[in-house]
Amino acid sequence: MKLGGIARQGVACATGWPRTAAAARRAATASPVLRHVKHSAQQQQQRAPALRRALTVRAEAAVSNGNGNGAASQEFDFDLFCIGAGSGGVRASRVAAGTYGAKVGICEMPYNPIASDTEGGAGGTCVLRGCVPKKLFVYASEYRETFADAQGFGWQVGAEPSLDWAAFMKKKNAELERLNGVYMKLLNNSGVEYVEGRGQLVDAHTVKVGDRTVTARNILVATGARAFVPSFEGSELCMISDNALEVTEVPKSIVIIGGGYIAVEFAGIFAGLGTEVHLIYRQDAPLRGFDEEVRKFATEQYALNGLHLHPLSTPQKLEKGPDGRLKFTGAKRSGSESSEEETFVLDVDHVLAATGRRPNVHNLGLEEAGVKMTKKGAIEVDDYSQTSVKSIWAIGDVTDRMALTPVALMEAMALTRTIFGDEPSKPDHQNIPTAVFSHPQIGTVGMSEEQAVEAYGNVDVYSSSFRPMRNTISGNEGRTLMKLVVATDTDKVVGCHMVGPDSAEIMQGMGVAVKMGVTKRQLDSTVGIHPSAAEEFVTMRTPTRELRKEAAKVAA
Amino acid sequence: MSEEYDLVTIGAGSGGVRASRLSAGQYGAKVAVIELPFGLVSSDEVGGAGGTCVIRGCVPKKLMVYASEFSEAFDDAEGFGWSKVKPSVDIKKFLARKAKEIERLNGVYGQILDKAGVECIEGRGIVLDPHTVEVRASDGSVRQLKTKNILIATGGRAVKPPIDGAELAITSDEALVLDDVPEGGTIAIVGAGYIAVEFAGIFSGLGYKVHLVIRGEQPLRGFDEELRQLVGTNLGKRGVDVHLKTSPTKLEKNADGGIDLHYEVPKKGGGKKEKNGEKEEEEKEKGMISCHKVLFATGRKPNTRGIGLEDAGVQLDEKSKAVKVDEYSHTNVPSIWSIGDCTDRLNLTPVALMEGRALAATLFGGKPTAPDYENVPSAVFCQPPLGTVGLTEAEAVEKLAGDIDVYVSKFKPMKNTLSGRDERTFMKMLVHVPTDRVIGCHMVGPEAAEIVQGLGIALKCNATKAQFDSCVGVHPSAAEEWVTMTSATRRIKGEGKQLEPTTHKCGGNKAHD
Repeated sequence: MKLGGIARQGVACATGWPRTAAAARRAATASPVLRHVKHSAQQQQQRAPALRRALTVRAEAAVSNGNGNGAASQEFDFDLFCIGAGSGGVRASRVAAGTYGAKVGICEMPYNPIASDTEGGAGGTCVLRGCVPKKLFVYASEYRETFADAQGFGWQVGAEPSLDWAAFMKKKNAELERLNGVYMKLLNNSGVEYVEGRGQLVDAHTVKVGDRTVTARNILVATGARAFVPSFEGSELCMISDNALEVTEVPKSIVIIGGGYIAVEFAGIFAGLGTEVHLIYRQDAPLRGFDEEVRKFATEQYALNGLHLHPLSTPQKLEKGPDGRLKFTGAKRSGSESSEEETFVLDVDHVLAATGRRPNVHNLGLEEAGVKMTKKGAIEVDDYSQTSVKSIWAIGDVTDRMALTPVALMEAMALTRTIFGDEPSKPDHQNIPTAVFSHPQIGTVGMSEEQAVEAYGNVDVYSSSFRPMRNTISGNEGRTLMKLVVATDTDKVVGCHMVGPDSAEIMQGMGVAVKMGVTKRQLDSTVGIHPSAAEEFVTMRTPTRELRKEAAKVAA
Repeated sequence: MSEEYDLVTIGAGSGGVRASRLSAGQYGAKVAVIELPFGLVSSDEVGGAGGTCVIRGCVPKKLMVYASEFSEAFDDAEGFGWSKVKPSVDIKKFLARKAKEIERLNGVYGQILDKAGVECIEGRGIVLDPHTVEVRASDGSVRQLKTKNILIATGGRAVKPPIDGAELAITSDEALVLDDVPEGGTIAIVGAGYIAVEFAGIFSGLGYKVHLVIRGEQPLRGFDEELRQLVGTNLGKRGVDVHLKTSPTKLEKNADGGIDLHYEVPKKGGGKKEKNGEKEEEEKEKGMISCHKVLFATGRKPNTRGIGLEDAGVQLDEKSKAVKVDEYSHTNVPSIWSIGDCTDRLNLTPVALMEGRALAATLFGGKPTAPDYENVPSAVFCQPPLGTVGLTEAEAVEKLAGDIDVYVSKFKPMKNTLSGRDERTFMKMLVHVPTDRVIGCHMVGPEAAEIVQGLGIALKCNATKAQFDSCVGVHPSAAEEWVTMTSATRRIKGEGKQLEPTTHKCGGNKAHD
């Protein structure tokens, strides 16, 4: 049994376990240890031959006994067992099984749109209590504005249409159940074995699901995250986003605690549905981490849409009245530098805490298996999503890198390539385009102006705010902001930001361009699509600000 | 005639305004621009700063698309639990608001020119000789301008086919101000181009019964075949009566005060007559559509007649009568240049803007600049819209050598899962396998125009499929589909000679300023 040098140095896979020749070859190429190879420039160039080799090896494995998995399963029940059937887990499992022919099992808790320690469902947060239901809520909430806009265009709408909330919720839930079924089918069609129940690690190669114990060469922890509610007096009366997506009637009034994207998205949804919305956030603007100009502009638009904004504010107390309504007490600082506080009280139907999410790492047996955690309580992984235990991997929100569905998908693709594709692959977390489905939408890719100044010193900013063409007739006061951040010395577009209708859709293509390293010159050479909002990104000719390192020094 | 200009531009549309204001504002040239008095419907005496795009094209069209889209929203809202509304539209109120906005924009264009130091002269501009332009004002006064260079940017206008009763039909100019069709009335649109399908969507959305009369087998000749089919299907689903392979023969006033549109179609089950062994025309049968209005959207022609071009020796294309220009927009007369629709290259506002910018750089920037017509993204605002950039499948096969992978994605947009709307979004990406270059992106579906703009940038940067794949999706969006197309739907063989797709130089060949 000849093994390559890399595999011979291997820790977990190349020693100890008896195996067939085919399995050994698989181990040589699929060993998690492979990732320790540093990719020198030279090795990068040799990638093509390496790929060919991988194909040959897989072909051999298939020929030798008709199924390489059979060989693997002599030692382990599975090549890969995944805990959690959310975006990342499902993708990794079905690609491992479907594309690479691995023997894969996955466990997930019974279906329930509201997650708990005992309930979940295939599809995970994204499909059941995140992206998908949220977007459906956004759609439903946009019509009130549409009816108003229509009148500007001469439509005689008359009395405002009413919303049958129960009917909407029923259709929404039917759609979620359908999608849950689609995910089950995806797994089934790729030959992944589905085990219902809560998975717990027993050791580096063993998982317990209910009464069943399974062994696996590799274990993937993809258990996601859930909403976190900070502790304050009465905080147990808060609902979280899971509940907000299940409300049985449209609240008349709501307090939303938080300044992140989930908070502003629900603020937009409920305001659109006619709810009186109070947004409580600690900073002077929501959406910390976003471009400052974007934050400021979005905040103005939120105010225009009727949100009651409470900056510099924190929750203090929550009480339930005899009528079931909630009395929310908050404290507001008098300035961002001030510690002087003034309390205020709001009587509302609901209080939603959108105050962050925490990785689902408890009671999973992670400590017992020796998996290291980060200081913030996420599973610690390296660039290849490998944990401190070589046979255990983790992707998605439980690793708290960038908690986004498409990122989990990317991590899953890279992971399967690493483990089964003989091609150690790092997910690339740079220049990921994202959207916030607040009202208005925000789309962004790359650096904020502030980050760019920090990174490059010399930065040209192109910023344009305008009234969308539709609003010239509708009378809607909403405006759009578009912004490019260019590193002056290289002419590279390092950031692209937008607040306004269709930002999410527009930002995808911009994301491709920015990821490619597009220069401002190349943007300028692209012809616009007229009339569109997006054409603004290729017709910005004059910098709004030219920020220079030298000037900054002088000013300092 | 004491003063001499560096540039006199005839026509203050998209191209003329851009070239003039950059020549004056950026390069300091002495520039005058001549334009006819403002009016919504154009003629030999009526025009207005802003031109077709602003006054009787892109802008009013898009506003009408917006207006008409509400009927879709009213229907979709029901699927989301909102009570049924079937409002009617006060078309006069809408058109008045639209007219006000167009007038505002016309004023903005005037201001842009003023600010750049361009002299705006109202009247009809006629080329007297290679260095003289005469301006005939509507009050009868005449003025002659001496100039080093003349720019012809007179645009184009709609033409009607020469059939009996054609004078009864309107063109797109009038369609944009149409206010005398009774509620729920019938409009027949003749034509298969983008203007025809756009108006079909507009009038249908506004509550009229629409017939679309198309000579060929699909609308939108020149676009990717699969897109054409889907646009045809969508028109039908939205209640437009699409008449394929139908040739109008005659228009007649009818007793109800409307118009009868007579046409011929191939006879059902009819064969092709053979005579003397040669194939004759298909057997035809006649038919008629009675309607309130007939809109001819049957093409446009360059505005090049009666402005002294022939006398000045400027060559026109024999067939189209477009001004003949070289790649620098230069006519055969050294001092005369021409851009925009009157040159009939790619008749789009942003292309005229590109030509205007390139021309200013050529003339006054010391940088001879040729506009780049490769990978120009564009949209058709049918409903739902179409967006496209790069080669169609047929063009790719014809031009390129080597394998071409076709990635197709057809899906129900998330909104339609609840709205119940029976429409699918279609996306198609063409990849040249030997180079991995993405050579075409085509789409029909909501927000197609907005989505394709960014893809246009990527194609201008010579994007490869691997580069698309390396981009993470924006979720949930339709556009994310463009970066998650993992397996090709089919592989086809290129039959052309080109070994690799056209490569854009960094920044294209356009001046950076």
